[in-house]
Amino acid sequence: MAGVLSKLSSRASALGVGFLLVAACTTGGSSNTGGASSTDVTQWVAWGGQELAAYRDVLKPFEASTGIKVHLTTNRDSNNQIANGIAAGTDLPDLAPGPTDPVQLKSWVSKGSLKSLESFLDMGAYTGGTYPALTTAPGGASDDPYIGIIGGKHYLMMVKTQVKGLIWYNKKVFTGTAPKTFDELLAISPSQYGAQKLFCAAFESGTASGWPASDQIDNIIMRQNDATFYTNWIQGKVKFTDPQIKLGYQTFLKEVSAANVYGGSNTVLTTNFGKAGDPLFKTPPGCLFLEQATFIANFFTQNFPGTKAGTDFDFFGHPSMGNSQFDGNINGFYDNISMYNDTPAARKLMQYLATAPAQQIWANDGGTLGAIKSLTYTDPIFKRAADVAGTAKNLLVTAGDFMPSDMQAAFWKSLLDVTRDPNSLDSVLSHLDAVQKAAYATS
Amino acid sequence: MVINVDQIITAVVAIVAVPLVLLGYIYLGESVIERLGERIQLWIRPYFWALPAIGFATVFMVYPLLRTVVISFRNNADDTWVGLNNYVYFFTFPDTLTSLRNSLFWLVFYTFFAVSLGLIISILLDRVRYEQAAKIAIFLPVPISAVAASIIWKFMFDYQPPGTTQTGTLNALLGVASQQPVAWLVNSTTNNAALIFVGIWSITGFCLVIISASLKAISAEVLEAARMDGANEFRIIQLIVTPLLWPTITVVGTTMIINALKTFDIVYVLTAGAYDTDVIATQMFSQLEHNHNSRAAAVGVVLFVAIVPLLIVNIRRFQQQEEQR
Repeated sequence: MAGVLSKLSSRASALGVGFLLVAACTTGGSSNTGGASSTDVTQWVAWGGQELAAYRDVLKPFEASTGIKVHLTTNRDSNNQIANGIAAGTDLPDLAPGPTDPVQLKSWVSKGSLKSLESFLDMGAYTGGTYPALTTAPGGASDDPYIGIIGGKHYLMMVKTQVKGLIWYNKKVFTGTAPKTFDELLAISPSQYGAQKLFCAAFESGTASGWPASDQIDNIIMRQNDATFYTNWIQGKVKFTDPQIKLGYQTFLKEVSAANVYGGSNTVLTTNFGKAGDPLFKTPPGCLFLEQATFIANFFTQNFPGTKAGTDFDFFGHPSMGNSQFDGNINGFYDNISMYNDTPAARKLMQYLATAPAQQIWANDGGTLGAIKSLTYTDPIFKRAADVAGTAKNLLVTAGDFMPSDMQAAFWKSLLDVTRDPNSLDSVLSHLDAVQKAAYATS
Repeated sequence: MVINVDQIITAVVAIVAVPLVLLGYIYLGESVIERLGERIQLWIRPYFWALPAIGFATVFMVYPLLRTVVISFRNNADDTWVGLNNYVYFFTFPDTLTSLRNSLFWLVFYTFFAVSLGLIISILLDRVRYEQAAKIAIFLPVPISAVAASIIWKFMFDYQPPGTTQTGTLNALLGVASQQPVAWLVNSTTNNAALIFVGIWSITGFCLVIISASLKAISAEVLEAARMDGANEFRIIQLIVTPLLWPTITVVGTTMIINALKTFDIVYVLTAGAYDTDVIATQMFSQLEHNHNSRAAAVGVVLFVAIVPLLIVNIRRFQQQEEQR
């Protein structure tokens, strides 16, 4: 035994402990990425579960008709891994989500890692068919990194979209007409409809608490100002103490004031966002309206089984803040696919995904809007959401998501703080200026 | 589900090959040492056996520690020296100052209440027949992980709008006394206290059993003699029991201070540092989360420097106790 061991150990010790430690510490580095194949496509997606199943449905007709095999990997860290791959010069997947960080986008474009849609797609059909807010920079600018446009070329192919800032209501309670402006909205008397307060709100979300509040204030600021001001603010070029940002905070505070919000600020701050809409369906109703994105419909039907979208609850688009020229600014997000390896098979897949029949499969599976305008929806919520998306001139991203992460965290916290104590607004805003200065300096 | 073969091979190598190599090191090394002279053998063998452990400790503990100190003086990209910038940030920025203040609250109140409750309860329980049952009850929260305990307390602190049914235990009790509900974790006068209370609740049992064990070691004759001399129970506790327990109290106390300084989970789960409840450890975590590695390193170094003297005190105490035995 000892002899065997010593023989074995002599060989192993020749390798050295250190070598094995190194081996144990390096992660498996194989990436199933291919060369310029015309029969295989490797693709990273961020989707899992239902969303991934829907994408497989989209791929089925493509794989059957072309014989191309799509190798899917769900990778929620794809941005970092692609960044590492680009830096190290190792293999990249053929297709993957493009970067949404403007700095990263510009850098990858300049390195030639991202292939422009212009090189393989019929751009007339693409920009003509897709929601303009997803493909056209405001005012015809040649750069709009937030939707993947650099130097007049498109690098993110839009496949799905969602709109935010929708005002939800219980159809059995609120029977009036949708207000056109924010002032009209504030003027609605909840007691006229038997409700206690005008608004519901709930900002608790664990370590991400405050994000629902940031959606609300984003929708205000982007309609009180033009798109350039809004993106400048995201990029740290506008201070939080700027009068227009302060105006945004003050307007937001009207939505969560003790007079207007159900349960007062303590309820808003301690209630989880998923339960925000519950008082809409209570008797007597706690509130008339809740501002939230399309996903909240799932919480309504989950928390109150039997309620149905379109018959029991519905929504209207965010009212104008009084400046009609900014009404086309709409808050939303999108799913995109970018090309990292220009192969014949990858081109074919991208061309297929840009077609209406492909995206219609997505729409049929539910839960999202496609990027193409002409799709049809059976779900009344998405039918209406498509109308809202159609009115968008500029699709503006959710501000915090594109700020440096410490800025985002401070921004979310600031909304909790002013909700708790509206009198702290000025000190909160000047604190945000200090965070902004530090956050953008090092990012 | 794609199975990554490389990763499996790596895992097998780590689990099987590393121990094999260590075994090989020992067999091979011993066979060499056996052939050396007796005196050299005696001298070299301890070093030989300790070397792998020292190697592991160096690679996984000493090196990261030194590296952290270095990073704390570097910029975020780790390409230039920035002097004390990261420390200046830590000691001047309002958010980090708040976390320093809160850690100080934790240090004072958590330590004081955990240790003194442990002491008082152990002395009181020493005189009753149901001591074991009571000890078990107070010790029960100790094995609960801090995250689970925090989630339990999240329910206890739950807040519902005034006028509706209060589902949180504390606010339900307030309701019985016809008081308005309190948003325990939001209200700035209650939130830090609420968090520290959860900490005390989950650790008092630990202080209790340690102090109680040491209390049992005090000889009954000493106490009997004091009583014979006419000392009342308060005098006995003040002049005999507490001084005899002092070494134990110091060890428990310093351990509690270290616990207080590195508090993370309770704060992270219950408030995530919102509403001015951040502590040093959550601050370090969020600096890391926001990719400010060098600032996080500076926070880590400050925390380390604060804890080292306490560790030294603790180790000295242990050594003294060892010598007394």
